[in-house]
Amino acid sequence: MSGKIIVITSGKGGVGKTTATACLGASLALLGKRVVVVDMDIGLRNLDVVMGLENRIVFNVVDAVKGKCKLAQAAIKDRRIDKLYLIPASQSDNKNALVPEDMVRFGEKLKQEFDYVLMDCPAGIERGFDNSVAAASEAVVICTPEVASVRDADRVIGLLYARSITPKLIVNRIVPHMVEKGDMLSHEDIVDVLSIDLIGLVEMDDQVVVSTNTGIPLVLQKDSRAGEAFKRIARRMDGNTDLPIQIPQTSGKFWKKIGTKFGLGR
Amino acid sequence: MNTASSDNPSVRLTGMADGLRVVLDPKQPIDFLQSELNRLFKPLGHLAINTRVLLDYGEAEEWEGAEEMTAALEGFLKESFGVGTVVRPPKKRREVEEILRHRDMDRSWQNHRSDVLMLTGRVRSGQKVTARKHLLILGDVNPGGEVVAGGDILVIGTLSGTAAAGQPDREDAIVLSLDFRPTQVQIGTIVAAGLPSSPTKQTEYAYVEDNTIVVEDYLEADPFGRLPWPEVR
Repeated sequence: MSGKIIVITSGKGGVGKTTATACLGASLALLGKRVVVVDMDIGLRNLDVVMGLENRIVFNVVDAVKGKCKLAQAAIKDRRIDKLYLIPASQSDNKNALVPEDMVRFGEKLKQEFDYVLMDCPAGIERGFDNSVAAASEAVVICTPEVASVRDADRVIGLLYARSITPKLIVNRIVPHMVEKGDMLSHEDIVDVLSIDLIGLVEMDDQVVVSTNTGIPLVLQKDSRAGEAFKRIARRMDGNTDLPIQIPQTSGKFWKKIGTKFGLGR
Repeated sequence: MNTASSDNPSVRLTGMADGLRVVLDPKQPIDFLQSELNRLFKPLGHLAINTRVLLDYGEAEEWEGAEEMTAALEGFLKESFGVGTVVRPPKKRREVEEILRHRDMDRSWQNHRSDVLMLTGRVRSGQKVTARKHLLILGDVNPGGEVVAGGDILVIGTLSGTAAAGQPDREDAIVLSLDFRPTQVQIGTIVAAGLPSSPTKQTEYAYVEDNTIVVEDYLEADPFGRLPWPEVR
């Protein structure tokens, strides 16, 4: 078995890399693939909390890479979703605990065991980024509709191209009514600037906060728009490229339009 | 003292389309030349008034006293006969120079080795492109991207990053882009930041005028459209 290593990155912090990694990992596992998500944010461990697996950590990625434990010992199996595994980050080391060459070797090992290896890249473009990207053959760049995020994503895309990786884009945290009013960048504006393939648009969703706090995967929650969007993205990543990209829109647009015609509402 | 012989006189006068041509032997003393001129111009009477006179020293190359002699003869002719202007024949160029010049006007670019750096693609945030002379980008410059050139910068696309043309000190350089919305423009040593961007996409260019950077619509201004023939920049 030889899987794919996909790094999930953004440059800027707080745009939803960890949430996206957890959701995409869970979605791919629900599609029947063997998936491992690796938290590369060494020193600032988060992914385990988002996935609700924080109390089961014994070994971490640094131990696994350095050969202090077996791969099977470091990979924590999710009990709710079959075939989903997490390799958590170390909280006590810092990013310099690993070097890119180690990661390439570790990546080869992971590829033997899993269909998909998702690397949750830390913010920034320093050692943590180098480590996460070293073994990856594909990349997903997360960007929010903010100028700062677009600029950082742009930088990261340049760095990924320099490593001959062609990244794909997810625009996260779209607020449809703000886009309609022109207060927020639209995904077209972002794609214009970044000019890479779009694989999904994710709407701003309050359920994300609930999910990360409770540790229940977003994709298992009903009527979570963001969860649904990530599920569709996972299907696109899994080769179902024809699946159309849904553009987030305000609900009840039709009645609102009629309302505004008659001078009701805003 | 030499005297004018009939077949090779020291001063000859011939008519031209737009005036008179005087061929003189500059080796003769000026008094003698003046008297000869006097002899030749006197019969012309009022015909000499306001005519254009071309002073030709024949085979003689340029020598040191040429300008003095021309000035003296000019004064003499104007005073005595009221001629209009006194000119010298256009300087003869050496043959090599003539050929070069001819080719220059015809196709000055033919033997020009280009220093233009032409790139396709996108200059992303954090990337820096430096060109020794002109820089031409078929693509865009994203916010945070940087383009630097010794000469002009032309972006066939959107320029949203920073552009520094004419580095380090050429202030005749320009920055042009199909959609001109840079965060900063520098031409030579002059910097312009926070340029107001036009609401619509239009081809604009920046140049230096009176030590400030001016941005104008390129098609309206058409700064190079009035050059008589194509030139190497």
